[in-house]
This record gives sequence, C-alpha cells and structure tokens, in this order.
Amino acid sequence: MNRVPTRRGELHHTIKNNYIMMKKILIYLFAWLITVPTVKSQIINKVPLSARQTYYNIDANLDILSKIVKGEMETYWVNKSTDIVPDVQLHLYLNAFRNSRTTFNKESGSSPAYNKSDSGWIDIITLTDWDGKDLIPGMQYISPDDGNSDDMTVLKINLPKAANPGDTVFLKINFESKLPSKIIRTGNTDDYYFVAQWFPKFGVYEPAGMRYATKGGWNCHQFHRNSEFYSNHSVYDVKITVPKEYVVGSGGMLMAEVDSDTEGKNKTLTYRAEDIVDFAWTAWPGYAVFTEQWEHVKITLLLPKERIDQVERQFTAVKNALEYLTKNVGPFPWPHLTFVDPPAKGSGAGGMEYTTLFTSTSFTGIPDFLHLPEMVTIHEFGHAYFMGILASNEFEEPWLDEGVNSFWEERIMDHYYGENSGMINHPLLKVADKSMSRLSYINSDSRQAVSNAENSWNYPHGTYGMMSYNKTATWLYTMMGIIGEETTNEVFREYYKKWAFKHPSGKDFVSVVNEVVTRMNGDKFGTDMNWFFDQTLYGTGLCDYKVANFYNNKLNLSRRNINGGDSIDKKLSDGDSLYKSVVELERVGEVMLPVDVLVHFKNGDEVHESWDGKSRFKDFVYTGARMIEWVKIDPEFKIRMDVNYINNSRTSDPDRVPVRRLTDKLISFMQFFINFISL
Amino acid sequence: MKLFIALKSAAIRSSKLWKGILIVWFSTLLLVCALAIPMKGALNSGFGRSMITEKLADGINVEVFADLGATLKSLISYFSTGFFLLILTAFLMNTFFSGGLFNSLKGSSGKFSAGEFFRASAKNFWPFLVISLILYIIVLILAILIIAVPVAMVSKADVPSDGAVFKTCIIVVSIFLLLLTILFLVADYARAWQVTKERNACFKAIGFGFSQTFRTFLSSYLLMIILLVVQILYGWLVLSILPGMKPVTGGGVFLLFLLSQFLFFIKILLKAWRYGSVTSLMEQNSEKVL
Repeated sequence: MNRVPTRRGELHHTIKNNYIMMKKILIYLFAWLITVPTVKSQIINKVPLSARQTYYNIDANLDILSKIVKGEMETYWVNKSTDIVPDVQLHLYLNAFRNSRTTFNKESGSSPAYNKSDSGWIDIITLTDWDGKDLIPGMQYISPDDGNSDDMTVLKINLPKAANPGDTVFLKINFESKLPSKIIRTGNTDDYYFVAQWFPKFGVYEPAGMRYATKGGWNCHQFHRNSEFYSNHSVYDVKITVPKEYVVGSGGMLMAEVDSDTEGKNKTLTYRAEDIVDFAWTAWPGYAVFTEQWEHVKITLLLPKERIDQVERQFTAVKNALEYLTKNVGPFPWPHLTFVDPPAKGSGAGGMEYTTLFTSTSFTGIPDFLHLPEMVTIHEFGHAYFMGILASNEFEEPWLDEGVNSFWEERIMDHYYGENSGMINHPLLKVADKSMSRLSYINSDSRQAVSNAENSWNYPHGTYGMMSYNKTATWLYTMMGIIGEETTNEVFREYYKKWAFKHPSGKDFVSVVNEVVTRMNGDKFGTDMNWFFDQTLYGTGLCDYKVANFYNNKLNLSRRNINGGDSIDKKLSDGDSLYKSVVELERVGEVMLPVDVLVHFKNGDEVHESWDGKSRFKDFVYTGARMIEWVKIDPEFKIRMDVNYINNSRTSDPDRVPVRRLTDKLISFMQFFINFISL
Repeated sequence: MKLFIALKSAAIRSSKLWKGILIVWFSTLLLVCALAIPMKGALNSGFGRSMITEKLADGINVEVFADLGATLKSLISYFSTGFFLLILTAFLMNTFFSGGLFNSLKGSSGKFSAGEFFRASAKNFWPFLVISLILYIIVLILAILIIAVPVAMVSKADVPSDGAVFKTCIIVVSIFLLLLTILFLVADYARAWQVTKERNACFKAIGFGFSQTFRTFLSSYLLMIILLVVQILYGWLVLSILPGMKPVTGGGVFLLFLLSQFLFFIKILLKAWRYGSVTSLMEQNSEKVL
C-alpha cells in the first residue's frame, strides 16, 4: 500500500541517512517508473477507456509435466473511494476445484475433482508489498456468500496500514496454479490447456452509493456453479512461457515473441490488454490460426485443423455480431479480438467469454443448416459488450449480462440467418433463435418460482438458465414490442454511452429505459416504465391474454331506432340487417400489459383497438350491418411473454387445412417408416 | 445376365401382383390411421377456434406446438405409446403379408388370387415370424457390436479426439450397411425357399438362406445392391417431393394425400420387386443345379 507522492517524499528524506532505505527507494522508484507509466502509456488505445483501478503484470510459465502455471505477479489497486480501506480481497477461483467440499463442488452436486492429480488449486507462495513486507500473516480465506469454511476462493489480505483515499495498494505475488484435468471453463486435458481464472484477481471495492452498496465494502463473491464474474476494467501485461510447439491465444495483443532459452525449447510471448475485465489464454499444439480484418478490428480464430471447413462461417458470424452491435449499441473499442473453437478434448472450455477472447462451440461435421456454432460465437462475442464493456455484476444480476446478451444474440441470429430460421434452417424444420428462449420460459414448471432479481447461486430448482437467459430475453422482446425497435436500440445506445467501462446495475438499466422512453415517446407509456419492470424483471406473474368469445346478434331494430351508437356503420342502406357484435377479451394472467386488438369483419373491414390490458375482462361492442369474422389479440406477436398464443385469437371458421396437411404427412411418414424397418 | 433376367422376371411378377400390393397398402393405411386420426382430432381440439394454425402454413412451428401445453404433453405420450404399438402390429402384419407376397411371386404362372394370397399368408406366418425374429436379433447384435460398441468406446475415451466420433460413425455405419445387405439376402432366400415347402422349416430355411447367399455371393450381393440402390434413390425422391409440399386448400391437401399414397404404393411394389428378384434368382440357381 503506498500513497505515491507522500511516500516518495518521505523516502527521499530517509535516503540521506540510510543506505538500505535508499535501496528500497530505488526499488520503489523503479517500480513506479516502470509500472505506473506502463499503465498510463497508450500502447493500444489512445486514451484509457476505463478508470483503470487495477493493473496486473504477470510473468507466467506453463509446466506441461505438472500442469502447473507458475506466476510472478505485480499488481495494484487504487483506492478511488473516500473510504479508508483496511484490507483488500482477491478471487482465487481455481481453489473451487481444490476438494469436494468447496462451494462450487457442493453446488455441482458432485465432485468434478476425482483425485488429487485431477483437482485444481491456486497456492500463494509469497505475498509482499513493494517494501518487501511479508503480507502472508495477514491472509485470511473468507466465505462471504455461504460461510463454507472449506471454500478458499476468496482471499482477504489485512493491510499493515489501511489504504487512505487515493492510495495505491501494491502487491507482489508469486503463485502456482494447478489446472484441473477436467475442463470446466478452465483446466487441461492431455496437451490442451485453457487457462482461465488462473491468477489472484482483485474483487471490486464498492463505495456507498455504487450500485446497491449502502456502505463501502468489497464485492468479492465465492466461485459458484451457476455464476460468472465481476471485476474492474484493468490493464494486463502478461508474459507467457510455453514449449515452443504450442500455439497460444489470449485476450491480449501480442507485443513480442522470443525464445526463452538457449536450446530453443521454450518461447515467451508478451501480451498487453487494456480495459478488459479478465485475462485468459489457451495453449495447444494442434491449433490452426486464421486472421481476418473487420474495420479496425483484427480478428484471430484458433480452431482444430479438422474444422478448417468452419472457418468461414465462424468469421462471418463474428463479423455479423460486430456490425450489428456497433450499429445498434456502440463501437467495439479494441483493435484486436481472438476467439477459439476448442477441440473435442477441450470442449469444457467452450462457450465462455473473456472480453477480447472468447470460446465458441462446434464439432466436426456439423451441418450448415444447424446454426449452433454461429449462435455460440455471437452470444459469447456479445459478452464483450454485456459485461465486458458494460461490466455488470454477474454474481448478483446474471440477467443483466446473460439475459440482455441472449436478447441481442437472438436479434442478430434472426436478422442475419432468417427471421424464422436463426437456429435451424432446414427445408423440413425452421426454428428461430428467439423461439427457444420463449419455449424454455413458457414450458418451465418453475417459471414462477422466483423473479429475475436474484443472486445467481440462489435460483431454485435449476431455474438459473431459464430465468437469467430465457425469461429475460423474452421480456426484453416484449419491451421492444411495446416501445418499438428504434426506441429499444436507442435505450441500448444510451446505456452504452452512459455506462461503458463502468459497473451498471439493474436499476441503472431501468433508469436509462425510463429516460429514453420518455424522451422519445413522451408520456405514451406513462411517466416511466417501472410498471413494466415491476411485473417482468421483479415480478413472477404470468402474462396471458385471451379472446374468450365473440358473437353477432341480429337486431330487430331499424336504423332509426338506434341512438348514438358510436360503432354504427354509416354506410348502411335501409335493407341491411343490423347486428350487435361483441368481442369478449380476458386477462388470464397476472401481468398487465397494453395490447393491440384486431377485429376483422366478414365484409373485409378491420378495426384496430388498443387495450391497456389492466382489467380482468374487456368487451368491444359494434353495431352495424357487419358481422365479426375473427378477432386477434396482439396480432403481430409483440408480447412474447404471453404464455399461450393459441387463445390470442378466435375465428368463426377455423382453418383446419394445416392440421390435415400435417396429419397426411404423418401418415405417409409412418407408412414409409414401418415399410423401411420391415425385412 | 442372370441378374437382369431375375430383375426383369421380378418386375413382371410383381406388377401382376398389384392386387396383393393393394391389400398390403390398404392394411397399412388403416393401421396408421388408427394412430393418426385421433391425433388429428386432438390437435384440432387443442387449437379450438384459434387462428394460430396460420403459423403452420410454412410447416412445423415449434412455438405453436409448445403453446398447446398440457395437450401437447398428452399428445406426445399418446404418440410415443401408440407408435410403439404401431411398430409391433406392423411387424406382425408385414410378416403375415410377406408370406402371401413370396408365395404369389414364386414360379411364373402369375395369376393373382386373393384367396390364395391370404391362405399363403396364414400358412407361412409362423415360419416367417421365426425367420424375421431371428434375423432381427442378428441385426440387433450386429448393430451393437459394429456400431454401438466402437462409437461408445471412441466417445468415452479419456482424451476424445476431434472428429473421431464422426469418422468412426461413418466407418461403422458403412460396414453395418454392407453386412445388412447380406442379411436381407439371407432373409429373402429363406422366405423364398420356405414358401416352396409344405412343412414349416424355418431353421432349415435360414440355413438355406445363408448357404444360398454365400454359394452365389457375387450375383446375389450385386442383385441386392442394385435393388437397394433403386430403393434408396426412390426414398430420396420421395423425401425431396413430399415434405416440401405445402398445399393451403382442402383440395390441395387431398391431392397431397393421393400422391403420398401413390408413392407409398410404389414403395411396396419395389419391395415386392426385391422379393421377386431374389425368388427368381433362386429359381434360376436351382434349375442350374438340377
């Protein structure tokens, strides 16, 4: 812990009298000259994108025999709050794989760590401040989430002297990270390495008023089964030493590559990454490397040589995502991006995101009509925005990254790969990407068990994925249906503008929605959109609107007897019959949303009605010479939260042809099938 | 030359058998409708007076079916159970009718008699059932040994290799299909031989099937390959025609029904052609021996 100017002055004074102290000063000055200017130097971006509250300089050496990464790390955290902070807290995620009693393994329901050689851990070998003072006695493993004393994924270091506002806490840590042999986001199998969550990483200090903090404190959660991460945007200078035959990919920009020994057996690669929330890397001799350029971004793809036929579709997917998100959310600020399609033996590393490095998922021989690789690539790339740039707390508000990102993934997929074929595009079956989210939500038996506003590890009954990804995407689509596509895009542009490289919370997102919607639409949707979020984000109710009935009653009245009927057809002739036509609508679910209603008459007339959707039932009455033929609630299917579209419409003459056609085809299929399987 | 004589002779014999094929077609249609028609009723009931079926105009829409909720769960349960029973019943029915088909295809007299067809079906039912069961068991064992075991071993390897499962699948399925062709020959020879005998001798028939297959392996195997290739090409043709047809009117749907049934009729005819070709080849070989 050092407060730079004061400390430097003090040490200048001491140097006159004490040679040892002078040595310390020289070390300190060296560190200051090297470290601080490095952080301030603009190697990648002209101006810092983030506050850069933390910095990591790591020298890592991969020992392929022991599967251990030995690291020497110099790091700091700047106390930018007005609090006096007595300790720092760091994540040691790899300790989640240390034994079967960790919170991660307990929540997994089984132990992925089969025996000692399979387990993973991170050991602090030495821990000092810049004065060389040993901080190990001040180390303490804590379990802020569940009090599990066997969990060692959060390390608290009591500082010899509390960090005052503006102080910088420097740490020098030598550590050893043993990678688990069953890859669960991180680990190694055979000669394949995916090295993530591998170094001690600061939690986020949240002063009072930041997000939901009522008083200052570290936000440093344990590693959970159903959770991801929360970190400050940092600068990383990382040297990685690996055997020479290994191909390395990382979230940094490659600055140098040199032989690290005279025999030429090993090489050292130097990477720099700026303003990202995590640094991960991968090493495997079997990677084929491809690069392409999209505007200012150099994109690098690493994948097994057997999947070279998928290079084009992977690049196309990531470029589509770059284009769409740049246009509708904000620019991708980094000039480099690396993504990895792991081999089968590294499949456990697939589908993860580390901002400028992400992993996709595919397999050899995957057919073109199945857009799984594109979906994963676009989803994981999207995380560069939704928690990479907009660094929300994934532990506490998983919907804000996973749900929002799923919403954008589905929009991108259905935009570029077909409105109804984003996921599967086969002549026999087309499935939109957005359909899967809605299906997962509406078909879940536990869809009302909990709201979205829940810590990720607290979602009950296996609802984490359904709630954080699918329900969120579904209500975001519903929101877009209500406020319109352009307003939705403007919401996200504003959200980006206001919160990029900061730590937005759910309430910050809601504030942006309220601000933009009222700016663009006045009070069309009320003074704010809280009524929407109270029901969808914070509520557990279901949305279901229904056309209960409609009927046409012939009236025994002449035109002259009708007084002030506001729906009377003015084109009536004397010979026309008069009808009182009534549409009966019902709100079956608890959620109240404004809905459009389309009434179609047998003479071809159509009437568009708006219903605020608040009352339990609503009737529309028409008097005239026309009879209602059919009625639709939400004819454009904007309210994707509606759990039953079937009861959204009603007609006097239902079209049975599609069912007949389906039955015909089913009959043929079964006939051919039983003929096929008989000898 | 023998091959082409067999193929030609079988084409003539099977075309003369059109009434028998009509019986098989109609029986199959009735059987399948027993499952499909109630499903259609349940679907119509589930959709009620809704207009959601508009979304089925372009084919299956997963969201529409998912919205059926409990109805869909009941339908899936009904269909899965019903389909199992359907396969079981169809197996027995096909075993029954194949006795009549093989009997009508033997020799070259060729006048079809419905009474004779059913009599032969009934007479050969038990031996054909045993032959079919034994051959199905052999097919099952082969499938386990040749496909399931290697694929499981590769996919469960400690260090899975990229593409290994895919490549293994292609190789083992290819081997399996080549062996399956032999089993088709055995089954057809066994049944063609059985219908010529007065007594039930299913085990002898299987023995004959194996011996005849391997005694005339080249010609028999080539014949079966030609027949199967034609059937596969036909299957591909059907698959490229039927699923893509999306009539939107009642009349169009009826035409689709007629077309699909005609295509299925041809499919049975092709199977009868296979039976007839093997029968004809067997007859040629036995004449040569005599």
